[in-house]
Amino acid sequence: MAPTKPSKDSKKSSKPLSSSSKVSKNKDAKRPPPKEVKAKARTEPSLLKKKQKREYTEEELDLPKLNMITPAGVVKPKGKKKGKKFVDDAEGMMTIMAMVNADKEGQIESKMMKARQLEEIRQARIKEQEARQAQKKSKLDNAKESIRNKKRKSDDKEDSKSKSTTEDSSSKKGKRKSVAFA
Amino acid sequence: MRQLTEDETKTLFSKLANYTGRSLNALVTSVDDPSSNDRYVFRLHGSRVYYMRLSLANLATSIPRANLLSLGICVGKFTKTGKFRIHVTALEVIAPHARYKVWIKQNGEMPFMYGGNVVKAHIGRWSEDCPEHQGVVVFNMDDTPLGFGVTARSTAETRKLDPTAITVFRQADIGEYLREEDTLFTT
Repeated sequence: MAPTKPSKDSKKSSKPLSSSSKVSKNKDAKRPPPKEVKAKARTEPSLLKKKQKREYTEEELDLPKLNMITPAGVVKPKGKKKGKKFVDDAEGMMTIMAMVNADKEGQIESKMMKARQLEEIRQARIKEQEARQAQKKSKLDNAKESIRNKKRKSDDKEDSKSKSTTEDSSSKKGKRKSVAFA
Repeated sequence: MRQLTEDETKTLFSKLANYTGRSLNALVTSVDDPSSNDRYVFRLHGSRVYYMRLSLANLATSIPRANLLSLGICVGKFTKTGKFRIHVTALEVIAPHARYKVWIKQNGEMPFMYGGNVVKAHIGRWSEDCPEHQGVVVFNMDDTPLGFGVTARSTAETRKLDPTAITVFRQADIGEYLREEDTLFTT
């Protein structure tokens, strides 16, 4: 295709661009005149006032315990009784005893459960072993039986064969004899 | 002499609970005469723990600490690491409340009282369903407590053992009253 002259449309399209720029100029004109912004002096009282910085508590800072002034374990809670805490009333003793008893019973229970489970496993293993042994034995017996049967059969066959052969030979011999001495 | 602290009480009770059942509560609640305000308490003197009536403990406050040798029933002593070691003297306290018991035959009494462990051949009867490493109180066939120990095996396993196998490891026996006569009550 040969180059063609730019069509009118393209001219038209260029025109609105210029017009748009004009429009924008108009808008600029409508804006209020820029106000002069004065930079505040450093000595301004409002600037001189320090802003209140947020103070973090120790817990918020999440510092590692050893990094603090009082080493871990040395901190003693205030307002609490110093020294040993005695238990002398029957109620206190009873509560401690109840706790200890519950603990012990739990321990014994778990021990018993464990022992029972182990026993079950052991029983199952013994049963399995016995079953396996029985199977092995039965297999062996079967094999023995089969061998015995084979032997018997072969013996029978041999017996019958030998009998027949002897009969044959005797008959043959007889015939021969008869033939020989006829 | 002082009362036990919470930790000490817990250690003591957990040790006693090895041998006794729930009836251990009776140790604290038992009162000879319900009309009086008396009850039984535990007291620590030196490193030893004694079990006595409250009235006796109160009386003992009039005796200087250095002069007081012993009072009530000695249950055992606290080691320096804070554990509790139960003594044969506590047998009287734990025997009536025993959870698991082992009765030994006449021929097993002497070997046990000389400090031997209990072998299976010497056992007359035992409490059923006893797990291994559980505290047991040893009695003779006349139900006289002879001592205590821990089981080597559970009752189910013990049945399969041969007669010479150890079933209870001895911890204390009344033979100690003679064997350890010199050191039993020294501090």
